[in-house]
This record gives sequence, C-alpha cells and structure tokens, in this order.
Amino acid sequence: MRYAQRVRRAPGRPLRLATAAVVMAAALAACGGGDGDGGGGGGGTEAAGPKAPATIPELTDDPINLSFVWFEWPPAQALEDFANAEYTKERPNVTIEVNTVPNANWHDAMFTQFAARQTDFDIAILDSQHIGEAVTNGNILDITDFVNENIDVDAYDPYLLAAYGQYPQAETGQRDENASLYGLPLLGDTWTMIYRKDLIGDEPPETWDEMISTAQKCQDENPGVSGLAFHQANGSDAAAVTYNTVNGVYGGNLWDSEEKKIEGVINDEAGQKAMDVLVNQMKPLTAKGSGNWFIDETNAAVAQGKACIAFQWIAAAGGLLDPAQSTLGKTQDEILDKLGFATLPTQDSDVVPLGGMGMHISAYASEEDQAEALNFMKWFEQEDIQKKWAAAGGVPARTDAIQSPEFLEAGPFNQVYADSVARMRDMWNVPEYAKLIDIENTNVNAALNGAKDPEQALNDIAAEQQKVLDSAGGGGL
Amino acid sequence: MTTTTDRPVQEASQTPPAPGGSPRLSDRGLAVAFISPALLLLLGMSVFPLLWALYLSFTDYSATRDVPANFIGLRNYTDILTSDQVRIRALTTLIYVVGAVTLQTVLGFAIAYLISRRTKGRGALTTLFLVPMMLSPVVVGLFWKFMLDAQFGVINSMLGSLGFGQVEWLTRQRTALFSLIVVDTWQWTPFIMLIALAGLTAVPNYLYEAASIDRASEWFRFRHITLPMVWPLLLIAVMFRAIEAFRLFDLVYILTSGGPGVSTETLSFHVYKVAFLGFNTGTASAYGILMVLVVIVLAQFYLRYLNKLKEG
Repeated sequence: MRYAQRVRRAPGRPLRLATAAVVMAAALAACGGGDGDGGGGGGGTEAAGPKAPATIPELTDDPINLSFVWFEWPPAQALEDFANAEYTKERPNVTIEVNTVPNANWHDAMFTQFAARQTDFDIAILDSQHIGEAVTNGNILDITDFVNENIDVDAYDPYLLAAYGQYPQAETGQRDENASLYGLPLLGDTWTMIYRKDLIGDEPPETWDEMISTAQKCQDENPGVSGLAFHQANGSDAAAVTYNTVNGVYGGNLWDSEEKKIEGVINDEAGQKAMDVLVNQMKPLTAKGSGNWFIDETNAAVAQGKACIAFQWIAAAGGLLDPAQSTLGKTQDEILDKLGFATLPTQDSDVVPLGGMGMHISAYASEEDQAEALNFMKWFEQEDIQKKWAAAGGVPARTDAIQSPEFLEAGPFNQVYADSVARMRDMWNVPEYAKLIDIENTNVNAALNGAKDPEQALNDIAAEQQKVLDSAGGGGL
Repeated sequence: MTTTTDRPVQEASQTPPAPGGSPRLSDRGLAVAFISPALLLLLGMSVFPLLWALYLSFTDYSATRDVPANFIGLRNYTDILTSDQVRIRALTTLIYVVGAVTLQTVLGFAIAYLISRRTKGRGALTTLFLVPMMLSPVVVGLFWKFMLDAQFGVINSMLGSLGFGQVEWLTRQRTALFSLIVVDTWQWTPFIMLIALAGLTAVPNYLYEAASIDRASEWFRFRHITLPMVWPLLLIAVMFRAIEAFRLFDLVYILTSGGPGVSTETLSFHVYKVAFLGFNTGTASAYGILMVLVVIVLAQFYLRYLNKLKEG
C-alpha cells in the first residue's frame, strides 16, 4: 500500500523539485547579488577606489607580511630578495613576500581576486594598461594625496610617473598634473635590440630597414642561425607588443585616444605598412616554429647562438649573460664579446614600447597592511633606495637613479633603457584593455602564422577593437 | 515483482529500534541524517552554482564592475547563438571531438582486443597502457609541448633522422588541431581500452566454442560475436569521452593557447576568455548553460539509441 502510494506520488516529485528550483532561483534573483557590495568600491559606473590618506597612518610593531602579486620572472625574485634585505633594516617586523603566477595567468590571478572583493595580496604589481580596469572597478587605492605629500614627483620623467600610476591615461610623453595617481613605478622597462657582434659587426643597424637587411645577410651567411627572434605568441601581450612596436617605428598610431577611435587609425597606411613589414619581411627571417615564442624562447634562441638579432624586454635580458645558460661563452666577458645591446632602430618615427609595472595597493587589504604598503612605497621611491634597487638588478624610474653609475654599470643593457626613456609609447590604458589586447594578439599571431591574410588581420583588429570601445566594455563576446 | 521488493522495507520498518538507540530517531530520520551531509554538499557545490549561473545568464552582470546586475532577458543567449565567433569555435570543437573520439575508439578497441587474446602478461600490459590516463592533463600538455617543439622537440628530431623536414606542429593551422587530437588520444585511448577490455572479457567462451565447432572464420567470430557483445559498452565509453572532449580546456591552454590565431580555440577555451579576460560574467554564464544543454540533449538522444539497441 505504501509502495503504491509512493508510486502514485512519484510523478509529482520532479514537479516539486522543479518548483523548488524556480523558487530558489527567484529568491536568488530577488536577493539581487551582483551589486558588488563588498568593501572598497565606490559604487556607480565611474567607481574609483577609496583614497589613501595623505600621511602614513601609525604602523604596527607586530610581525606583518606585506605581500605582492606578480608574474614569474627574474625581477620578482630580485624584488623579494632586495626588499627583505633592505626594507627590514628599517622595519624589522615586516616580511616581504612576492607571490608569482605564470605570465599568462597574471591578469586573471589579480582580477579574479579583485572580483571577489578579497585579495591575498596587499600590493598588486599591475601592468600600466591594467590601471584603467582596476580604477574603474574600485580595486586599488587613489594615492594622489599621498604622492603629493610624500613623493618628490619632480625627480621623475613625467611620463614614467604618469604611465605607472595616472588615470585617465596620459598623452604619450606627458603627465596631467590634475589627474589622479593610483600607483608608483616599481620597474621601468622597454625593448632592447640584441645583436651578434661576431656575426654582424660592432655597430648595430640604425634604421629598421637596415636592421632587416642586416638580419637577412647574417642568416644567409650563417646556416643554422636565423636572422631574427622576437615575440610572436598569442598569450599575454606578446604578438601585440611586437606589432605595436613596428607600427610605431613606421609612424603609425594605435588609436585616437580623444575620439576613442581605432578603426581607420591603426589600419591606416602606416599601420598596413607595419603589418606588411612584420609578416612579409621580418617573419621569414625567424626560426621555423617560432610562431609561439615569447620571452623564454627568444632568450633561449639568443643564448644558444641561434639568432643574429633579437628583441627582448630589458628586465628579462639578464639571463643572457649567465654562462651556465649560454653557449656563447664560458664567462660573462666572452658572452659580451659576442652580444651587443642597442636601442631600437628608428624609421619613420622613433618610438619604443613602454614596459614595466607599478605598485598599486589593493582596496581590500587590511588597514594595517595598507599603511605598511604606503610606507614601503615611500621608502622604495627614495633616491638612495632606487640606486640600490638598480644595483640589485632592478630598473628604476627616478631620473637620478637612471643616470646613476649604480644603474648604468649594473648591466650592459641599462644604457639602452636610459637612452630610451624619452622615446617610450604605451598602449591603451582603459578598462577594456584585456579585450583589446586579446583581439590584437590573436589576429597578429594568426597573420604571423599564416592563418590570416595580414591586411585582413589588421582590418579585423580595427573593427573588433572599435566595437569593444563603442560598447564601453559592457557584455558581448 | 513490486511486492517482493517492497516487503523487506515493510518488514524493516516494523522492526523495533535497537536497544539503546534514540527512541525519537525514526528510520526516516536516520536516513535523512545520513544523506543530509552529502545532499548539502551537492546543493552547495553543484545545484546552487548552477542556479546562480542560470540567474546571471539573464543579466549583464560583470564580476569586476562595481555596478548592479540588470535583467536583460534572453539577450546573452541570442548574442551567443547568432555569433560568428561562437560558430567558428563550435566547428573547431566538433572537429576535435569527432577526430579525437574516433581515433581513441578505434585504437582503444584494437589494443583491448589484442590484449584480450593474450594469456600471459595481460595484467602488466593493461597497467602499462593505463599510465597516460593517470597523469594530469597539464603535465601531459607540458611535456608534449616540448616534444612537439619545431626547433628542439624530439618528434622533429626523429623525423629529421628519417630524412623528413621540420614540421611546425603547434603553430600552423592544420597541424595544431591535429596535434591536440594526437595528444588527447595518447592520454585517453587507455580509457576506451579499459572499458572495451571489460566487455571483451565478459563475452561467454561457449559462443566462441560453438563458432569453432561450426568452423567460423576469425572475422565471422569478431563480426557476429565479439563486436555485438562489446558494442553497447563501447558506446557508453564513447559517450563519456565525447562529453569530456567537448569541454576540453587544459590541453588547449597549455599547448596552443588557442592559436595560431583562434584556430584551436574550443568552446570551453572561449568561455574562459569571455569570463576571465572580458569579465562578461552574464554572457559567460549563458554560454556555459548552453554548453550544458547541448551535452544533456545530445546525451539523451544517445541514451535513447542505446536503450533501443539493448531492447533490439
């Protein structure tokens, strides 16, 4: 009987479950979720993080862990070692921890935590292009008042100070003193041209066209050695930075920042010329299968003597001088007899890519940690500390540190950085950056690997990026 | 039939509680107490996130933007279903699923058939073949990435020693997807093999003995005894693999990052980009829900076919 009753009731059970599910969904919807009511956010569409105080609040004497998040590369370990050695002299109760993730996960690792309104890091080391996204979402502190009170802003090249902290984005080469600052420079960077002195001579090529013909000659004369090595991968910003660099060299622009216009700007005549040079003149001089190369692969090709000319971020070039990782010599001097480092050749214009990152305080860190982070930043930006950071392998941003012997003598490529500061150009520093860079990366990578016609790829970049800008990042695929 | 299954329950419920047990805890209460932890876990970890994603899929919510979610009806669904980008990824996924699962089924069944015919060392061979399946896909992806490297990889090195030229396994449109299929096949063929082996060992010997008496050929025995007996089990394995392959993410992420261009971007990889690069949480939720629906609908048709096969 009971069974029979159960059988009769059975058809109602799925219905009840479905009803319960709908009720639950409705309840969730009614709860509203998604209003991001965690701490820190300022609310509204133009949200900005809370303001940091102008003066550093009282610091705790209890043991404290100041944690950073960065991606895995040599400067991360250098920073942790340097800060633990030097900062603890002033603040012995503080331990610095630089947590790293693979480069490809860097953006996600930070912004998924920002999305949860809870971070396990106090200082996010953001790429300059990430600032817009972090600021509009209210993820990082506005440190304008703190900077005005504690930092000697005149000690910096204005553009370097702006690039790593200002939002809205600065015009190339300038700083808007009325704009807010959300970060301070941690590591400056740009591309260096690495060339084989023993294969192409001591003097580096001066123009881009000359560079290509030199690479061609070198490749023809040295079987097994490719003319060029550069970043082509579709992860991170690899292929996009390569195209942007060539675009700048041939006089192109990425966008009209005032009009928010990309269509017709990036794919104008100069842009098309740059794409043609990259795909049809430079790509044939690279090694077979190099279409997914980024920092490590480019370094490996240079260290193993497989490339005549290569392009690399200065901050990632240190390993090239390590005899344990190189087949070019058994000592650093032997390696330097064969390798030369130079600023990028010019052509129709003389811009170089701005790399490097700034320090940005998480809006979700505890007040204690935020105070310590402010103190660390003030300490880090002092002249003598910047020089020590330079000597420890860092790339400083203060002009006096950049011009100091500590920096210029610390590495053969540091002079390249000092000479490049005035030529730097950044990408878009807008909340839609992640989408824009993905569009450019995948299309440039497709063109470099024969999956798309170069002209079509550039036109697709322009059209798709314009669509993203026009939709102001809201929804869509 | 029903009464026989019901009687023990009836009897059990009439049994008095064990001495010392709580008089207030009925059998039903005890049952609820036992299943409630698992049920709560299921609700918290599966049902709630699914319902939450379902709700978000009708909004323009972004996890990073500090603005409330707005109800936008079916817009996310129509955007996805009418998108050329999604169509391209769906085609890539389809080619991948069909290629990988077909290859794995043929190879897995062939290996299982060969192993089943051995009497010595069958256990050791089976264990050996299962090793790839036990590795993490990320680890598998990483070492295959090195092996397939055009410049320094062992595969090209071997091809070179045989007089072939260098192949750009991961950076050309045609070879990149093929490489993904090969790597997935290397890892998951053992799964099909294992299930097929279970089916093969379950075929009663007397059928083969009868066939031998009738002087049936090897092919006849395979075609009319082995294959029909193993087929339903093999189809279940194919379904599991197809569902797994449909949501492929890790190998793509490690080996090609979806490249060159977007030519190896699967639907799952695209959802990841929508969710964590663009942080379009609402769109990504709708995308995920649609993928689940596709799997459920296709699996239903497949299961119906299996049932028909069983009845036939």
